[in-house]
Amino acid sequence: MECPRCNPPDSVTLKTPSTHERWALVGGPNTGKSSLINALAGSQLSVGNWAGTTLERLSAQLDLEATRVELVDLPGTYSLLATSPEEALVVRELLQNPPDLVLNVLDAGNLERSLVLTLELMELGLPMALVVNLLDEAEAKGLRINLEALEEVLGLPVAGTVASRGQVAGVLPKAKEARIPSPKVRYPEALEEAIHRLGPWIPNRALALLALMGEEGLPLSREALQALKEERKHLENAGHDPYLLALEARYATAREIYRRVAHRVETKAPLTERLDRLVLHPLLGLPLFLLALFATFRFTFTLSTPWVNLIGKVQEVLAGWAVALPLPSLFRSFLAEGLVAGVGTVLAFAPLLFLLYLALAFLELSGFLARMAFVADRAMQWAGLPGKAFIPLVLGFGCNVPAVYATRTLTHPLDRLRTALAIPFMACGARLPVFTLFAFVFFPQQAPLVVLGLYLLGLLTGLFTALLLGKVLRAERGEGAMELPPYRFPPWRLLLRLAWARTQSFLQGAGGPILMAVLVVWALLHLPFLGGSPYAFLAKALTPLFHPLGLEDWRLVGALIPGFIAKEVVVGTLGVSFLGTEGLSPLGLVAGVRELLGALLSTLTGTFQSLGALFLPLNLDLAPEPTPLQAALKEAVSPSGALAYLVFVLLYTPCVATLAALRQVVGGKVALAAVVYQLSVAYGLAFLTSRLLP
Amino acid sequence: MLSLAQLSPGHRARILKVPPGQKRLLALGLRPGAVVEILLQAPLGDPLEVRAGETYLLLRRAEAKDILVETLLSNEPHGMPPVQPTR
Repeated sequence: MECPRCNPPDSVTLKTPSTHERWALVGGPNTGKSSLINALAGSQLSVGNWAGTTLERLSAQLDLEATRVELVDLPGTYSLLATSPEEALVVRELLQNPPDLVLNVLDAGNLERSLVLTLELMELGLPMALVVNLLDEAEAKGLRINLEALEEVLGLPVAGTVASRGQVAGVLPKAKEARIPSPKVRYPEALEEAIHRLGPWIPNRALALLALMGEEGLPLSREALQALKEERKHLENAGHDPYLLALEARYATAREIYRRVAHRVETKAPLTERLDRLVLHPLLGLPLFLLALFATFRFTFTLSTPWVNLIGKVQEVLAGWAVALPLPSLFRSFLAEGLVAGVGTVLAFAPLLFLLYLALAFLELSGFLARMAFVADRAMQWAGLPGKAFIPLVLGFGCNVPAVYATRTLTHPLDRLRTALAIPFMACGARLPVFTLFAFVFFPQQAPLVVLGLYLLGLLTGLFTALLLGKVLRAERGEGAMELPPYRFPPWRLLLRLAWARTQSFLQGAGGPILMAVLVVWALLHLPFLGGSPYAFLAKALTPLFHPLGLEDWRLVGALIPGFIAKEVVVGTLGVSFLGTEGLSPLGLVAGVRELLGALLSTLTGTFQSLGALFLPLNLDLAPEPTPLQAALKEAVSPSGALAYLVFVLLYTPCVATLAALRQVVGGKVALAAVVYQLSVAYGLAFLTSRLLP
Repeated sequence: MLSLAQLSPGHRARILKVPPGQKRLLALGLRPGAVVEILLQAPLGDPLEVRAGETYLLLRRAEAKDILVETLLSNEPHGMPPVQPTR
């Protein structure tokens, strides 16, 4: 069909770009680099990893006439002297893989400090253009910035933007005028002489300065390092700290430029300061903070439930169709219970993760996450972690998978590692059905207490793990110093795109391993092997290992195997192995379509209902399990064995999705070691538990 | 000489000395000569919210303890020098 209205000819994308360019966006944290990329490139935001690291990389493609431009969002940095892995990455990227253009993004509301980084970047000798963003915030502070004057003083093109509102029209024309800057900072004589003397070994002035200031890991020859050592010693003997000397010179120049280009129209306490007096109030702060946490949970879990149910329904219908196919029964079973169930398990995470990422991105970009860290910092100091680590830990109570990814907001790699390894002990929602089933069968009077105790045991084990790892790895105590960004209302388009890009990254990275694991379990359960089911064979082989815990029934031990895939299947597996199977029933095409449409409709109404329910009090749905299973369980294990079973279920590897997330964040070897650790802790504490009760 | 941790919300001070090797504090704007103001302390007394120029910072008492300062009266010039209007 030729309809120019529906398919307008797109001259920009139809033409194949002939050249590729890479533009790097460099600027301080929270200066709006992602907003800027989003406003410039529209929908094509993508999340990936930097090669060789686990740091997140945001980029987007942009077609400019015959040039395809890749806009790379480098992590926010205060200076080219790295104090975190993100900042080290910026330096490495700029020095070793120089981009075709540096787009330096400045915060108009904090121009003086932004200029310090600009002055540093100018020394690199790369083509540069400046973007002064957040002009609206500067204006709200009563600050006027003369962009023409800034252009003149620095000798570089300058565009003024409010990226969050899409006001970025000046950026691309100014980028075309980009030129190689001439450095502006005059360093003290002592430093200039040292740079000069290093010339024969380090001809690049910027590199020489960085090296003198103490940046490690620069590509320098052995002779250069020797000369550098002497120069540094020379400076120190004369009572100079090269770092402070250079910093002072830069600040002085930045202040001078600032005076020439900015003036304050009026002064009033900024909105951020007034809001902080409320949010960080000695008495109100804590309740407000708990309320925000609670709202995040409610938002994510209430709104995702209808969509997770929809995916379950689609899975059911597809399985029904697969069973109705005229194929050998093993093949039908593979399609219905292996493939469909596997893909479904992966996809069921998508709505949950998308909404949690959305809520997290809102908390982060609005400046609220930093405030939460402020309030929770004291508790984290005990475990030697930074205040920010509290957020991923608490998210773990909802679902461990996004919690592990949320550790990426932590600056130091060791903090990230320790928090990520603590998270699997947080009792996620999927463990609750197992807890309630056993608690109500064996401890009907103290059931809520038992469940609460398990949650606390998980939290303590996690914090203790972080503490212990800190001691073993000799990690410095997580430092507190961090910037509290001003409050902002993040653009919703950016939030949606970030959340979607991150969900996609999960599906691509963790989807494969989860699918694989589901298929392996299917094979264990269904492939004929030595005349019996390999599942029963394996479960029976493992059972003696669990005798010391008071667990002697192979069906209980067996349920732990698929529990490795996802804890929500433990109860189901127990049901099947204690009470016998109920097969999938075949489904006709029309009936299936009708069911799907009905499910979609109820999902949509369910979403609207849960939007309303967000503001209603929480009701804990502890549905009692059918009595036949309860009775069967009561026969199979003693109360002390049941408690040990619960502790084991709480503490051993939560699910293969968490494992996949860990692999992405901390690497495969560490993830594997974590599994061993979790199994040992689970076994040890379950053993102790089994001795608790008579 | 006082340490920054000895001050209370509302106090302003000029930084005299930052412990060596604290590049992160320096990069965040806590450098010798900078004027800082303690705005708030967290509900449990630690950490502090500190303002340096236009930058708002979370700072633990353990870190503030090592930063040496001299206190300023509230009418002394603020962290940034007065700004002249441009023509």
